[in-house]
Order: sequence, then structure tokens, then C-alpha cells
Amino acid sequence: MTGSRLLICLLLIGGLAIPSRADETPALPPAVERQIDFHKDVAPILLGSCVACHAGKNDDGGYQVSTRESVLAGGDSGPSVVEGNSAESLLIHLVAQQDPDRVMPAKGPKLTAAQVGILRAWIDQGLKWEEGFVIRPKYVPAELKPRKPELPSAESAGSEHPIDRLLAPYLAASGHSSTEQVDDRTFARRAYLDVIGLLPSPEDLNAFCADSAPGKRAMLVERLLADRKQYATHWLSFWNDALRNDYQGTGYIDGGRQQVSQWLFTALGENKPYHQFVRELVTGAPGAEGFIKGITWRGVVNASQVPEMQAAQNVSQVFLGVNLKCASCHDSFINDWTLHDAYGLAGVFAESQLEVHRCDQPKGEYAPLKFLYPELGTIDSQGNREMRLQQLADLLTHEQNGRLARTIVNRLWGKFLGRGIIEPVDDMDNTPWNADLLDWLAVDLAEHGYDLTHTLGLILTSRAYQMPAVDRGDRDAETFIFHGPVVKRLTAEQFSDALSQITHHWPEKADVELPQVGGEPAVKDVGVRAALKVSNPLVTAMGRPNREQVVTSRPQTATTLEALELTNGQTLADQLAKGGAYWQSQGVERDQLVQSLYREALGRDPRPEEQADAETLIGPAATAEGIQDLLWSIIMSPEFQLVY
Amino acid sequence: MPTPTRRDFLKTASAATLSALAAGSPRGLRAELTSDVLLPATADAVIVLWMGGGMAATETFDPKRYTPFEPGVESNRILSTFPTIDTAVDNIKFSAGLEKTAAVMDRGTLIRSYRAGDLGFILHSRHQYHWHTGYAPPQTVAAPHIGAWISKTLGPRDPVVPAFIDIGQRFDVGEGEELKAFHQAGFLGTEYGPFLLPYPDQAVNAIRPPGGMSAERFKARYEAYKKLIARSPVAEHGSDYQRESLERSVDNAYRLLSSPAAKAFDLSEEPKESYDKYNTGRFGLGCLLARRLVEVGARFIEVTTEYIPFKHWDTHDNGHTRLSELKPEIDAPIAQLILDLEARGLLDRTLVVLASEFSRDMMTEGKPDNQVKDQVEVPDVVNELKYYGMHRHFTDAGCVLMFGGGVKKGFLYGKTADERPCKTIENPIQIEALHATIYRALGIPANHGYEIERRPFYVTKDGLGEPVMELFG
Repeated sequence: MTGSRLLICLLLIGGLAIPSRADETPALPPAVERQIDFHKDVAPILLGSCVACHAGKNDDGGYQVSTRESVLAGGDSGPSVVEGNSAESLLIHLVAQQDPDRVMPAKGPKLTAAQVGILRAWIDQGLKWEEGFVIRPKYVPAELKPRKPELPSAESAGSEHPIDRLLAPYLAASGHSSTEQVDDRTFARRAYLDVIGLLPSPEDLNAFCADSAPGKRAMLVERLLADRKQYATHWLSFWNDALRNDYQGTGYIDGGRQQVSQWLFTALGENKPYHQFVRELVTGAPGAEGFIKGITWRGVVNASQVPEMQAAQNVSQVFLGVNLKCASCHDSFINDWTLHDAYGLAGVFAESQLEVHRCDQPKGEYAPLKFLYPELGTIDSQGNREMRLQQLADLLTHEQNGRLARTIVNRLWGKFLGRGIIEPVDDMDNTPWNADLLDWLAVDLAEHGYDLTHTLGLILTSRAYQMPAVDRGDRDAETFIFHGPVVKRLTAEQFSDALSQITHHWPEKADVELPQVGGEPAVKDVGVRAALKVSNPLVTAMGRPNREQVVTSRPQTATTLEALELTNGQTLADQLAKGGAYWQSQGVERDQLVQSLYREALGRDPRPEEQADAETLIGPAATAEGIQDLLWSIIMSPEFQLVY
Repeated sequence: MPTPTRRDFLKTASAATLSALAAGSPRGLRAELTSDVLLPATADAVIVLWMGGGMAATETFDPKRYTPFEPGVESNRILSTFPTIDTAVDNIKFSAGLEKTAAVMDRGTLIRSYRAGDLGFILHSRHQYHWHTGYAPPQTVAAPHIGAWISKTLGPRDPVVPAFIDIGQRFDVGEGEELKAFHQAGFLGTEYGPFLLPYPDQAVNAIRPPGGMSAERFKARYEAYKKLIARSPVAEHGSDYQRESLERSVDNAYRLLSSPAAKAFDLSEEPKESYDKYNTGRFGLGCLLARRLVEVGARFIEVTTEYIPFKHWDTHDNGHTRLSELKPEIDAPIAQLILDLEARGLLDRTLVVLASEFSRDMMTEGKPDNQVKDQVEVPDVVNELKYYGMHRHFTDAGCVLMFGGGVKKGFLYGKTADERPCKTIENPIQIEALHATIYRALGIPANHGYEIERRPFYVTKDGLGEPVMELFG
């Protein structure tokens, strides 16, 4: 807030008392004669005319309209309302311009008589407030254009790497340093799990640790990224969640869903440039039709959930980090998007005109077609659907649309470092903890032909990625300070695959048929991976969503139900039995067996006391049961289930 | 014994739990659940008895004129295919075959005016989603099951017993994905989701060591695990919330499996005489399991006759014959459940709710004034037994039976017309009000909610559900 505005506000409100009604004072507009609905009638006025100075961080005149309590409490000049008596309420006198020197809002258009009438009726009817609803300042939309900040000097960062250079001043300012880096084993485990979703085998791990080549970490990253089959299989789950692509899923009863699995796997395997990837999904290219087709339910569906609107919501959320869900029902209270914005976009996907519905009621009007950011260009309402979809794709991937790249690089950063540069990752108007980093990575992605593996490689080779893992902590987006990757949980699929690896038992058959992809294998091929199977109770308990809604981050909290499933669930018990039998059949001595299990599961040798305890658990005869119990103890351990 | 509340749970929870709650859970719309928020409760536990597939009111709890089967009878004349019987309450009659439940009607309230949602062309699982979450699918955020709302808001009654238990529904018997879409905690997080027990007689397997493992071995495995994780290098990293969350969840699971409460899951522990009274099949045993679980402190339990397309209550043909078989499956167990809860002094604080997604009728699909596309051919004249029954999906008037938990005894609410289309003519009640009433019994205001994606999301739609206070004694 500027100093002068503060002064004006103070002058206006400070020390005010309700003036006695002089004869020449205009009459107060009458209270409207109907039941007032806070949500529909009052909130829009407060949000439209008051929040800039009297909500969130701003409390001009010591006054906030954030909550019912704060309205009742009033400001420096005392209570702003007299409950049940609008005529005697200061708020009404100010907004009804009773005193030309003291009129609210101080800035912007004054309230209409009808609006004053609504506020009067609201006060007279007892100031009903929607429970728990907080009036927040209007959100500030993020800058749309790409921006490429200058890289700070390599010299002072002690590194040529652009991310290191970008973060050096940030870390220095917060008293942290990126000089401490994790050891080779920790790094390799992270990189394998993050890039291809598998544990490194003991042989691969040892070879990597023994390698004395400088830059071997970068070489490993490159190798893993080149293993297209494992890479695509791992990233399939992330994109299945985001695109609501499931191998079963609701809506199949009436053919209401269409898979994009083959297209998606190929796109990932070929490392399709991201702008092309988006274009094909948004235009419904052959094999990719399912995403904008959405889910059709039998029967009547709320207007805000018709397939065209699903497409508008999902395209906005997944590719732009824009939440259009509220606005598809009514003008949003949480951001600036309006019903017409939502219909303007949804209409692009429609075969025929979509009538605007507000809260499921037809309005008898039609919204002109438009993209969320009309400054980038227009969509031709006269064009056929195919043409409109192409225009939409043009705008999404427009070179001046920095948001497309920012949204995806933020997701990738979040996947690897455990937390986005902006959180939540679906709300890209929030403030990044480091705007330079986000903006630079976004432009860099575009400059490299939207090659996602380029950005992935860049992040993986940065010092930031190689810092020791830190606790997730409870800092919110505004107070978060980056000082290392956040400890992550294995996803359901990573866990299942890791389990298959250490029990040497893989599912027999995939539930989805996928094409071959090229690339150079970095690891020995494995069996059928969890991403290619429909959900089972184990992966459901571990957090694989049912893909009814778009999901872009998996739960990070372990739950009791999941622990129960892992403690005595049949899926796991069967798998452990197979593992016990495998390891017993290897016919190795007990001490070697413990070592092998630790190396395969945790990528390290057991400590002497662990070795002793593990041997006790297995028992002198190393029975299949004993081995199963050790396997269970290992896979239930934080060291196995978390990525440090 | 006073019932532990969520607040007590929070008081005893470790700091780590609290940080996990803070970090992993949607924010409540209020800062804290205090007594100002929770209303005085009349119930601590809820059992929903789910008649999946559409239970015809005129064949069960709202009988109309009986028309016996005879070839050539006009379809439109048939309102009920069973005679009417008396109940323990003078002004309440049931359809024949429900004599045992009729005998306990003086313990409960019958609602005959449940109006299901207008969701267009009927899909059972959509209406079931609507009934269970209070929101019509699809939704832009995953709407939680009523059991999950209760679990999240009140927490477990006994810390070792899962707060939300679902008995009897399998997900591989048709419309499985649609059923999964609401058998979940949605945006509240999987911690509050259902503990699924599809086979009541095998429920014990869900809380005992995995097949073949002795109790000793199970204990030894857990102890070895605790030792090993304490020796792991990551234990030296200092605390991190994910590790604590994981270790705590394993401890919770172990605690349940080794607790005395676990015995409740084991139906073989039930005296034979009592077991036999319930043993009419999976639903009957589900009722027995529900009773045993409430005794050890379960919070919300649903027992279903199981929804399988075209099976059980989903009578697209042979309605009369099917119900002749189905009624004996439900009648004795329901009555026994009520009597047993009462005998144990639990009925007063346990709300039992029997409901279905909608009713059925011979002629009307949907509502009389809002008919939807027919799914069943109904001949003008019934010549074969297979056409004798309520085969269309009627959404204007269904029955809800409630016992205990503070509701009136021997009370009838709502009225339907005696002639086709037998629509609701008095006191219509919709899902928002029905849910608000159930929540009210538990002390949860209908506008209680949580914030998700910066928007408020309430236990009843828009927070506007109005409990029917007339139903409470």
C-alpha cells in the first residue's frame, strides 16, 4: 500500500462517528425486501469493493471484512455495524455516501443503491455469514509472458550449472549452502527412482560407485534418461493420474471413457516435445482423443461437469495450473475467473453452442469463445471444432505464453525435489519461492524445443538436487525456505516395482498392451511393472488414485489402512511368499543372504548389528518363513519406503 | 463410559501426529473442532444397512393394495405383490415376509417419503454415490463417503478400531469402478477411507496375522522390525515427518491386530445360538459383525445386501419371486441386531439407518412428473410370473428405517398416495435433510466442512442440509 493511500484511509475512517442526519443528507437506500444469501448476495460485494484495503494483509483503518467477527469488531472508529440495525451502522453510512468527505470504497466505483440495499438487509437480518468462509484479497494473477533472468555469475556460485548459479544468492541469503552433497549411493538411488522408478541393482550401484570418472553422475543421468522403455513406464503413472487415463475407471458402462495409453506411452518413449504433446492432447489427435473427451456418465450431469466443461477444467489445471472449477458454476470467489471465461473455453470443445448455466440454471445466453488469456490471440467462433481446437493449441503453445512451460517445469521440480517452486502445483498464480529459478527453467525448456528430458537432466545434475534430504516441515507456501530436497515417499508403483525387484517375482501379464519404444536400456530389463496393471488393494492403499479427478501429486502421509494392508494383506503376503521361496532356493549361507537382501533393497551392506539382528530373525535354518519376515521388515522400513 | 471425542484423541496424539494432521489433511473451515462446533450428540455410532439395487417400498415398508398373481392380471393394477401385515405399531403396516422387523418397529422411526435425486437416465451406482456422499456425480473434487466425513470429523470411537468399516460389498461384481468412486474418503485423504470387509465370515483375516503365521511369529516379526529400523542409518538423520508417519501407521496396524478388539472381527467367537439367528447369508452375518464391532467401539459401519447389477434388490424381472427369497435374508438379522443392541444398552447411542438408493414401481421410471427413459419392458397384462413385481426404478418415494441414536420410537414420518403412482404426498425428505439428520444425531452441524482447493466443501451440499428435528425423541 502506498503511503498516500494509507493517509487517505486514515483520514476517512480515523475518529469517525456516525453523523447526525442533517436534513440535506440523501436518504439511505432502502433495505431490499427478501431473504439475503450471504454467498450469492453479500460475498460478491465484499470481494468486489472492499478486499483491496480491508482483507488479507491489508487492514486500512484497522478494519477488515475477512470474517463476521472482524466486521462486527469494526476498526479504529469503532464498530462498523450494529447487528439488526443497518440504519445505525457506520458501514452503511459510508457506502451510502452520507458524508461526501467520508465515502467507501475510497477507491473504485461506489456501491449502487441496490448493493447498499443488500448490505442493509443483510445487517438487518442478523449478518448471516457462511460458516468458515473467509473473505480474502483478490488474488493477483501471475505474469503470463516468459521471462529470462540473467544468470548470476558462475564464479561466485562456484559452478557453471545454471541452477546452481540461480540458487547461489538465494541460499546464501537464507544462510544455507549447497556445498554438502549426498554420497554416490544416495544419489544413484534417487536418480534411478526418479527417472525410471526402479531400484538400482547392486551390480549397477557398485559399478557406479567404483567409477572414478569425473562427471559420472551426469553420465548416469544421461544413461537413465535414454532408457526410454523404463523411463516411459515410470512416467506413465504420473501422466495417467494427470490425464485421468485408467485401464478401468468409471464411465465404461456406457463407453464413456477412452484410453490414451498407447499414444501416451509412445509420446513418452519418443520424448515428444512438450508443446507437441499438449497440442495432440488438446486437439484430440489420433490415439489422444480420450483426454478432452472426458468422462460421460449415464443420465443428467450438472452443467459444470459436461464433457466440454471437464475439458476446459482439465486443460486449464493440467497445462496452466489454473483452477477453473469454481468458475464453471459461477464467477469464482477464489480467483478472477468468471463463468464466461469458463464457457468461453468450454465452448471451444463443443460441437454446438453451449448455453451458459449459472449454478446449473440456464441463463439463456452464450459466451463468446475465447482463450483464458485473450492477449495471446483469439478463437474464431465461426470456425468448426477442428479449427477451434487448433487455434486453442496455438494459443496454449504460443511463444508468449510463459505459463505452459512454467507449469510443467514446476511439476518436474516438485516431482524431483519433493516440493514445487510454486505450491500447490495446480495453482500457478501463487508466489514462487524463487521466481528467477522458475522463469529461467521455463524459458530454457522452450529454448530447448520443449524437450522435457533436457529439463529433467538439468535438475538432476544440479547441486540443489544433490543436497541432503530435509524434513518436509510445516511451512506454508509463503514462509517456505528451500534448503534441500524434501524426503519423499515411494509411489504405489515404485513400491510395487521395488518389491518385485527384491522378491524376483513380477506379475505375469500386463493389463494394457503398449507399443515398443526405442532407446538404450540402462538397466537389465525387468518384468511387468505396476504401472501396467490395474489397481489392486495394495496400490490403492498406497495412494494410487482412481483417476476420477485430475491428480498431480500423490499423498505423502502413510495411513493406518495402508499399514494394515501391508501388515496382513493378501497381495503382499503372496508376493513375500514368492520372495521367500526365491531366496531360499538360492542356497546361500545365512550371512550372505542378509547381505544380498540389504544390497538389493537398500543399496548398502548391513551394519554389524543389523546383520546380527537380521540373522536372528531369519533363524539358523534360513527357512522361507524367516526370509519372508526379514523381507517384510525391510520393505516396511522408512529407509526402503522413503527416498532420502 | 464417556465416549472419547476427537478432541480427546487430539490431546493424546503425539506432536508428530499433529504435524502430520496439519501437513497432510485439508484445513477445517473452523480453526478447531470445539464444543461450540459440535452439537450435543444423541448417537456415538452409526450402522447403515444398505439395500443396494433399489428396494421397492410397496413390497417392504410401505405396502399398498395387494394383487395376487394370476395370469391375465393388468399390470397397472398391481401395487404390491405381497399381503400387508401388522407391526408392533398400530398405524404402521409392512409387507408380508418382514414379520420379525415388524415386531421391533416400536423401537424405531419409519420414513416413507425419501425422494431420491433427479439424475436422469437411471444408473444405480450414480444414485448410490449421491446417497452416500450427498453430491451427485461427477464432481470436480472427490466427494467423501458419509463414513469418511464422520471418520474425519469425529475420529475413531476406540483408537484401535478403524472409524469407517464397510461390510459386504465386493468391487469385481459389476459397476466396480463406479462403486469405488464413492467408497472412499475423497479429498479428506485415505486415512479416513473405508476398511473393507467384503466377507463377514472372513473378516477375522483382515485383522489377524497373514495366512499361516502364528501369533508368536507375528510378534517376533514386529519386534525385529522395530529393532532393525532403530538401527538403520536413517534413524540418525533426525526426525522427519514422513518417517514418523510411516512408523506410526505400522504401530497402529500392529496395535489393532494384537488388541482384544480384534476378537470382535472373529464371528467364530459368537455363541452358536446367537450366530444362527443372524446366519441368513452374508448380509445376516454382516449385521452380526456390525453389532460386534459397535460393541468394541466402531464409529461408522455400513452393511450392504451388496449391489450387483440385476441381482438382489435390482429386480428387472421376477421381482416377486426374488423378494420372497430376499426378505428372509434380511428380516431376522435386522430384528436381531436391534434387539441385541438394545439388550446391551447400546441402541440408545447407536443410530441404525436402513436405506436404499431409490424405490421401485411396476409402471413409473423416475418420478411421475419427471419420468426418464424406461429400462424395463412391462407388458400391459401379466401372464407370466417373471413379469410380476416392481421392475422399474421409482425415485419419488422410498423408505428409510431408523432405530436408536435418539430417534423417536414407533414413529411414522411422511406419506405416500395409496394409488399409483404412489408418490410422496407429505413431508418429502431428500438426501441433504436425511444426511443432516444423521449428522445432527452425531452432533455434527450440517454446515461443517473443510477447505479444498481454497473452496469450502461441506458435509451436506452447500452446507444447507436441514435436519428433520421432528424425528428425534
